[in-house]
Amino acid sequence: MAWVTWRQHRPQLLMTAGLLLLVALAALVTDLPVRAAYHRHALSSCLPSATRPGCELIVSHFRSEFASRAAVARYLIVLPALPGLFIGAPLLAREFEHGTFRLAWTQSIPRYRWLLSKTFLLSLATIAAAALLAVVAMWWRQPFDNVNGRISPAGFDVEGLVVPAYAFFALAVGVLAGALLRRTIPAMSLAAGAFFAVRLGVEKLLRPHYLGALHRTANGLTQGSRARDWVLQNRLVDAVGHQITTAREDRAIVHAQHATVDPQSYLLSLGWKRVITYQPDSRFWTFQAIEMGIFVFLALLAVAAALVLVRRTPA
Amino acid sequence: MSAPLETTALGKRYRRTWALRDCTLTISEPAIVGIAGPNGAGKSTLLGLAVGLLEPTEGTVRVAGRDPRHDPAALAEIGYVAQEAPLYRSFTVGEMLAFARASNNRWDDALATELLAGASSQTRVAALSPGQRAQLALALALGKRPALLLLDEPFALLDPLASRAFLGALMDGVSETGSTVVVATRLVADIERVCERVVLLGTGRVRLEGTVEELLASHRLLTGARRPLGRIRGVEQIVRERYSGRQATLLVRVNGPIVDPTWSVDEIGLEDLLLAYMAPEELQPPQPPEPSRLRWHG
Repeated sequence: MAWVTWRQHRPQLLMTAGLLLLVALAALVTDLPVRAAYHRHALSSCLPSATRPGCELIVSHFRSEFASRAAVARYLIVLPALPGLFIGAPLLAREFEHGTFRLAWTQSIPRYRWLLSKTFLLSLATIAAAALLAVVAMWWRQPFDNVNGRISPAGFDVEGLVVPAYAFFALAVGVLAGALLRRTIPAMSLAAGAFFAVRLGVEKLLRPHYLGALHRTANGLTQGSRARDWVLQNRLVDAVGHQITTAREDRAIVHAQHATVDPQSYLLSLGWKRVITYQPDSRFWTFQAIEMGIFVFLALLAVAAALVLVRRTPA
Repeated sequence: MSAPLETTALGKRYRRTWALRDCTLTISEPAIVGIAGPNGAGKSTLLGLAVGLLEPTEGTVRVAGRDPRHDPAALAEIGYVAQEAPLYRSFTVGEMLAFARASNNRWDDALATELLAGASSQTRVAALSPGQRAQLALALALGKRPALLLLDEPFALLDPLASRAFLGALMDGVSETGSTVVVATRLVADIERVCERVVLLGTGRVRLEGTVEELLASHRLLTGARRPLGRIRGVEQIVRERYSGRQATLLVRVNGPIVDPTWSVDEIGLEDLLLAYMAPEELQPPQPPEPSRLRWHG
């Protein structure tokens, strides 16, 4: 089966390798200036920030200088969806479209074993490719991670264990979509839609709650948060702990300005303070393991559903 | 040794229509059996059930004593060429053979290569002619050395020359493997060329079954003057009556010699025989048109 799988999916597998190479090259070229600046400004001695005089300025300068590169790197989140579209969805749909399932399923290998071994082998290839992608992304983002941490989505989504898990899940959803719809293009659309819906749903709804969030009270109205954390909420509360609306905050500031008092010290005198809810950077690997578990579980579920469909559906 | 193909009260329903119903067949000794019938008669459904692609709604199907749907070992006993002989178009001929080799425990490479009749193994499937493609599909199916070979409309896309080549390859291959062959086709001429036995399906049911020899021996065409039909000695059943002017032509199944000298007795060809059974609606004599009722509106 290994040869058959390789032969049937050769174009996609070669394309995956090509894409990886391209990403790695782009990463190498774009990261060299970042690393050079990092060393030039001796940013490593600024971690955690503001340990030596002038650090805050250096860090904020570094951030703004390379902000656009870091923003572009966010697009790496699209790549784990591709195995679902181009390998998973056609796996069954193309056989149905061309009628070749009648050939494939009437050899001596029962159709569920045929599907299982193909899915298994392609999953291995996909997971390996995604793991390489994650390694490249982690190397690329290392300077940013040192400064900004990696628990917030910019780092978390493209690094570590979750990337192979996302790719495996995308592949499995693609296979299931092909089993359901039996047409390649609709299956690709369904695979993409389902992948991003689940992926963003988990990120927005579940990930903030994997472990209880921490709270930190900051005196004064400046952010005062350590930049390496994933800040979930940043609220201004009064002395009793009620949240202060922005309208009320604005009125207070205007009032202070009329009275020619420094707004900062005025609000402090009212007993107002900031409460920051966050997940600390130190939880990165724990969160990665949890999210990987979720996606591997969902992927196995999708593969199981596809197997049941293929076993049961009249052809 | 159990029969290569055996069905008992086999039925398959798609939503509300029965594609095949109450089909009981035993194909016991090595033979070439034709499944005839018009489009939609259930031929492909029967083959699909036999190869385990379809699940029966009722009844059972056994291939060499095994359930093709649930016994994985049954698949090795079946060679199947689906309609239009699906193959992987981007593969070369050699790669298709490698595919079959990798997908079957029992695989006769020498036989498959021999049946390909020298088609270059470097040629892509997409570049093959319909005839070569059909022969490749046949080689893949026979390379399994199956107990049962199922061919679904193998001649549909072939020109006469390609048909003859395909037939030659089929005969060579079957003489080598000893497979029982079941050919589904809507063209009766195909059956006449190859088959020793015929099963005629019509709207999901078995209409007629037997060896070609038996069927031809047991049917006669009677021609004579038109008259009210009573019992005719030697006739078991009137299959079809046709009238032109004062002459009547009857297709009958006989159980003895026809002695009545007012009927002239002729033998019938297989094609006419099968066509007669395929079109049972001809049994009813044409109805006179109903007189139209006119009403005068003054």
